[in-house]
Order: sequence, then structure tokens, then C-alpha cells
Amino acid sequence: MLMWEFIIPLMAAAVQSGTPILYATLGEMMTEKGGVLNLGVEGIMAVAALAAFVTSFATGSPWLAFLAGGTAGLAFASLHAFVCITCLGNQVVSGLALTILGLGVSTFLGVPYVGLAAPGFDPFAFPLLSSIPVLGDIFFRQDMLVYISFVIPFFFWFFFRRTSLGLHVAATGEMPAAAAAAGLKPVALRYFAVLTGGFLIGLGGAYLSLAYTHLWTNGLSGGRGWIAVALVIFAFWRPGRAVIGAYLFGGVMAFQLRLQAMGTHIPSSLLLMLPYLLTILVLILSAWRGRRIDAPAALGTNIEPEA
Amino acid sequence: MSELRYVRPARVRPLPEGAVPVVRLKEVTKRFGKVVANNAITLDIHSGRIKALLGENGAGKSTLMSMLAGRYKPDSGTMEVDGRPVRFESSKDAIAAGIGMVYQNFMLVDSMTVAENVLLGQEGGFFINPGEMEARVDALATEYGLAVDVSARISDLSMGERQLVEILKLLYRKSRILIFDEPTAVLTPEETNRLFEALWRMTEQGKSVIFISHKLEEVIALADEIAILRRGRIEGELDPTAIESKAELASRMVGKEVLLEVDRQPVEVGEPVLEIKGMTGLGLTDVNLEVRQGEIVAVVGVAGNGQKELVEAVTGLVKPPVDTVFIMGQPWRKFFAESTWNRSMCYIPEDRLGLATMRNQNLVDNLLLTTRKGFARGMWLDKRRAERDTEELIRKYDIRPGRIHALAWQLSGGNLQKAVLARELYRQPRFIVAEQPTQGLDVSATEEVWRRLLDARAMAGVLLVTGDLGEALQLADRIAVMYRGRILGMLPTSEAETASRIGPLMAGVLD
Ligand SMILES: Nc1ncnc2c1ncn2[C@@H]1O[C@H](COP(=O)(O)OP(=O)(O)OP(=O)(O)O)[C@@H](O)[C@H]1O
Ligand SMILES: [Mg+2]
Repeated sequence: MLMWEFIIPLMAAAVQSGTPILYATLGEMMTEKGGVLNLGVEGIMAVAALAAFVTSFATGSPWLAFLAGGTAGLAFASLHAFVCITCLGNQVVSGLALTILGLGVSTFLGVPYVGLAAPGFDPFAFPLLSSIPVLGDIFFRQDMLVYISFVIPFFFWFFFRRTSLGLHVAATGEMPAAAAAAGLKPVALRYFAVLTGGFLIGLGGAYLSLAYTHLWTNGLSGGRGWIAVALVIFAFWRPGRAVIGAYLFGGVMAFQLRLQAMGTHIPSSLLLMLPYLLTILVLILSAWRGRRIDAPAALGTNIEPEA
Repeated sequence: MSELRYVRPARVRPLPEGAVPVVRLKEVTKRFGKVVANNAITLDIHSGRIKALLGENGAGKSTLMSMLAGRYKPDSGTMEVDGRPVRFESSKDAIAAGIGMVYQNFMLVDSMTVAENVLLGQEGGFFINPGEMEARVDALATEYGLAVDVSARISDLSMGERQLVEILKLLYRKSRILIFDEPTAVLTPEETNRLFEALWRMTEQGKSVIFISHKLEEVIALADEIAILRRGRIEGELDPTAIESKAELASRMVGKEVLLEVDRQPVEVGEPVLEIKGMTGLGLTDVNLEVRQGEIVAVVGVAGNGQKELVEAVTGLVKPPVDTVFIMGQPWRKFFAESTWNRSMCYIPEDRLGLATMRNQNLVDNLLLTTRKGFARGMWLDKRRAERDTEELIRKYDIRPGRIHALAWQLSGGNLQKAVLARELYRQPRFIVAEQPTQGLDVSATEEVWRRLLDARAMAGVLLVTGDLGEALQLADRIAVMYRGRILGMLPTSEAETASRIGPLMAGVLD
């Protein structure tokens, strides 16, 4: 009874609200694998969400809008790439600036769209798979973008384990000097990591305005970008763990919404804190266990030109 | 003193008449700002021969070779490979031209496997298969008789094994011109021997080897020809058969008389500055050790037998078990709770750029890192005064280039070490922990460091951790040999048989 009325819908909601976090986490993971820290995730998601919404509103094509979100993310991340990789700027400062800029720009440009609706993606029962008991209800009565997000971690894994480009990106994140000595081009590889990462983060943003809601409101990113940054550490830079982490957070967010809707006596501000409380907990746990050994060794450091 | 002898399989090979060099450097010049690192250098490299490049710290050896390997671009002059002029835009071009270099600091990705490192950039396709990569590298290693576990991560390998990985990289790329920048600095004597055998084998196949080292006996034993670099210029080329002694080679290199030996007069021994009593833990077993003011106690052993743990426990990097380590009579915890800037303990770590200095800061700030003597006025720092003192130290220790605003990473290895030593001795320590203090230093700098450590005995006791047995025998009053976390023997250097007893103890053989 409780199972069918509460738990399974909650888990399905966890997958849905975990999906934008999953896209963003994988994007940030990609960026960091190349050795660049991007704290602009929150801002990139906000800008991408707006770009996707406006595209869908104007063209009526959700698919075009989804791509537009990714492209906006890529374009916005390229600012970060230019500042950090070409100008050797501080990665933390540049990322924070990107977040502030992105939140501001999306709120400002989004004013005319507030409260409007645009076509997006709706859940549908995936043929065959949706009839699997329990799992089908949780995972296969979702929208198309959720299904796409299922395969990305596999691509991610494949990219780093089974392609030479993935190996090169990882080498650049670990030790750019060694990559250069091996005849690779660390600067180009870092651009690749930041831009691809930005694209993925942008897809996460697009999910918010195309599937999570079909409306434009302010503050749609709602801290998910920061959660993604923390989740990369929680996941020890591995895509499989990112999936678990993203759904865990999606679950907490969905749970918190449900509790509010049921009208508990717990103040809503406390409930809203839950995901961040969990973030801190998760970071403590991973610091305690992981000892940062899995972090790319050159993460956060710039490539100084030699002479 | 029983010096390690390297046995050459063949005699020095004479250069055949009319041999055409594979590489010609002509009037190559390289400047870093105002520093002329290489000044109009002309050098020929022949195939099938080993050329040693000898020169003081900061002479420009690494810079010259980095240009040949495509890492730096020359400011002027030309480089020719097989008679054709070349311009390398990056390492990639140099690799394509058959030139491979093993850098002073290994260029390996620690978290990746041996196979991944060897094949990095040479995977031969977009899709890769870890198993197939390992098989490929394993076949190569077997072909050349190099024993290494291809699926191991670099971080799990010893320095000698990492060297093998670098060699495998060169072999896989079919490099014909192999450059080794101080490859033996981090190797044990046995590993060095194996490296030399590999180098000879490779020259037998017609490859050229360029070998940079500060260890003169190695150069004499290995090289077919020797080029001497001094202050960015080629000082002369020598035939190793014409060299009478190490001292002669050293003075040719430095341009003045070098003794290569220090005279150790015993000084009066005072209070203990370090006592380790029955320490078990951190990978160490029942370690007992005492260092008194006025003496030097050396700790030797094959790397990884507990020396690092011992040093970390003594210097406060990790916490030892309670009541096992006493510094200047105080328990560890109390000593570090109350430690002061001067007349205290100082540490000269092996990792000069990582632990000892801040790589992107200048010499003044690096001096201030471990001392406040007279520079602190309340909460303010008197930088002017720090600059004056830095200048003074640069002069006293002959640190080049002599600019106080040079950044730590711009200094050559030897000069950086001199700067660290200058800083630490400036604090007038009473207890010195010196870890590989002369690694990578040229003969005159080594002599200088030795002399300073011996002089320091007047105020301090010294714990010397070294991989260089010659150094231990020259400097120490007593030598502790470590094996698997234990001190297997404590040998006084005053006894004649000590030198011959160290070797077996290092291998864990008790009589
Ligand atoms: N990237 C750099 N920027 C500025 N100066 C540099 C740089 N690299 C080297 N130098 C300077 O150029 C000179 C030559 O340095 P190089 O490293 O070639 O010496 P070396 O002969 O290899 O010395 P060592 O035996 O200590 O390794 C030194 O004075 C050094 O300080
Ligand atoms: Mg050098």
C-alpha cells in the first residue's frame, strides 16, 4: 500500500529530479578530468535553461531547444576556458564569476518569459521495459531526456577507458607536462574537456525548462549546479557513482517537496536545507574515505607556458 | 673507500674516420630573460656512441637537451638531423625526428599504468583496448629484456622501475637519439648498473645516447666522448681514455682545482638532539637511534625501507607513537608545540620544488618561509631587510642566477638546493635533518654542501639520510643501515670494515 502509493512514485520522482543533476555532474566531471575546475556550473545551467526555453518558445521544437541548451552551455563554458587556459586566470575566481554572471543574465533576459509555457518533453511508457515490475515504474515511465541520460554514463566510461582521446584528456588532467612530452597538445585537450563538459552541463540546464517544468520561472537552477560540483567529489570522478549520487540527491529533493505538499509541521526552510545538509555529509564522508587520491593530480592548476 | 665500479663491456669506441654526425647543433643560443642559458653552442652527436654532457649546476645542460627534444625553441642557431635543418614546434616533431628524452624529473602520469604511459600519444587508433595495450608493451619489454609489470600503476613503482618505463617509451617510439638527463640521480647502484647495460645494448644497435650526470665515475665508465659545458658555453670535448683521474675531470669541468674529498675532523660531542627509543609503528620496527650535537649520523638503505617514514616522524610530518621520539630532550609533541624559528630543528627535504620551496615565489619569499629572524616587527615583515639578507646568502653560497627575484622553479636543481641549504643553515639550527642533500649537485656544489654540513656540527647534530654510500662514508660518524623498517646495523665509520659491511646489510643479510 505505502509501497505503491508513496515509495515507487517517490523513486520515479527521484530519477526525474536527479536527471538534470546527473547531466551537470557528468559535465563537471568531464571538465575536471581535463584538469580544470569549473565552479560556474550553476550559472551555466541557468543560462542554458533560458536558451532552451526561448528556443522552444520560438520554434516549437523541443529537440532543437535541447541542443540549444547544450550549445549555450558550451558557449558559456568557453569563456571559462579562455580565461583559465589561454589567459592563465585563476580557475576558482573565473568559475565563481561565471556563476554570478549566468544567474544574473538568465534572470534579466528571462523577464519577458516569466510564467509562459513552451513545448517540452513529457513522460511516456517505454515500450516493453516499462512493464518490468517496480523497475519499469521507476525508470521507464519517464521522458525522453531521462532515457538519453541513462546511456551517457556508459559513453563517459567508454570514452575514458576505451578511446585514445579519453586517455589524452585524462593525462592532461593528471600531468600536462607529461602529456606535452609525449607529443600531445595539453592546451587543446583542456579546451576540449571544458567545452564538452559545458555542453553536458548545458543539457542539464535545458532539462529544467523543457522537462522538469515547461514554464519559465526565475531561479530554476536552484542550487543544482553546486550539488553537481560536490557530487563529482562524492563520485570519485567515476561515472557510475555519479549516477547513484544524482539519484540520491534527486530523491532528497523529491522527498522534501512531498513532505511540504503533505503539510507537515516542519518549517519548509528546514526541508529546503536537506539537500545541502546531505551535500556536506557526503563531502565529509568522501573526504574521510577517499583521501582525494582519485582527483586528477593537476586539477585546478594552469599550464604555464615553458619558454 | 670501496667505490662502485662499472664494468664496460668493450673499450671506448674510437670514432671512425669520416663519420657523419646524426645530429649537429650549430651556434645554438637560448636566453631566459637576461640569463643566457646556452651561448652559441656547437655540438655533434654520432650514432652508436654515448656522449656525456658534463657541467656545473646551471651550466645549461638541461636547457640544451630540452631544445633538441622540442620542449624549448632556440633563440638563434640551427639544429640538423641527418644533415637536414629541423625546427621543432613541440615534442611531437622531435619524437617524429627520432629524438627522445628522459627528463630529470620523470614525465610519467602516476595514476596510469605502465602500458598507458608507454603508449600515450602512440596508441595507433581512436579506440583502445587496455589488454591489447598491455600485451603490446609486454612484448616490447620482453624483446629488450626489461622486466617490468606492464599493468602496474606508476605510483606503485620504484624509481628504477619508472626509469625503465621511460626507456620503454623511447624504444616504442623507435627513437634513434636518446637523451638521459641525470638518470642515475635517483637510482640505487644496482639499478644504475642495469641502466648502463641497457644503454650499451642500445648503442650496439646503432642508437646514439646523450648522457648527463654529475657522477664523474659514471661518466668515465660509460662515455665514448665527453663534452664539457660551462656557463652556457662548450668548454671543450674530451676523450675519456685520456683522462687520468676523477679529480682531473672535475677540475676541467669547474675550471679550478677540486679535491673531491673532505677532511673530517672529529668535533667534541655534546647533548643528544635526537633520541628515538624503541619506535614501532608507521612501518618501522623497534627503531633506536641517537644523534648528538657535533656528530653526523647517516641512515642508508635501498629506497623504500623505512627511511621516509623515519624522516617524516622526526620532522613532524606524521605523528609517531607516543614517547618514542625525543627532540632536544623534549618529547615530540612538546617540541612541536613550542617550536621556534631559530636555534631549533631544520629539515632539508629531498623534494626541493614540492616540499622545500614554493615554486612560483621568489627567493626572498622562499627565505621567509622558514625564518623570521629579525624580519618581524610585531605583525609586520621587514621585507627590505629580508632582501638584503637574501642577497648576502646568494653571494655567500654562490647561487646562480644571482637575482633575489628569481622564482624557485627557474633555478637549476643544484642552485635550488644551495638556496634551501642557505636558508636552513641561516636559522642556526641545533638539529639538522638532511635528506639526499647532494642529489643532482655538481662536484663543487657537493663539496660545498659537505663542507657546510661538517661545519654545522659546531652548533648542531645532523641526521643524514642518503642513498649515496660514498657520501655517508665521507661525512658520517656512524651509519645506520635500514632494511624493511628495521635498523639492521649501526656501524662506526672509524672502523675499516664498515664500507664492506654496508652492502650485505642493505640486502638484509646479517653476516
Ligand atoms: N624556464 C626557465 N626560466 C628562467 N630561467 C631558466 C629556466 N630554465 C633554466 N633557467 C636558467 O638557465 C640556466 C641553465 O639551466 P639548466 O637547467 O639548463 O642547467 P643544468 O646544466 O641542467 O643544471 P643542473 O645540473 O643543476 O640540472 C640556469 O641559470 C637556470 O636558472
Ligand atoms: Mg639539469
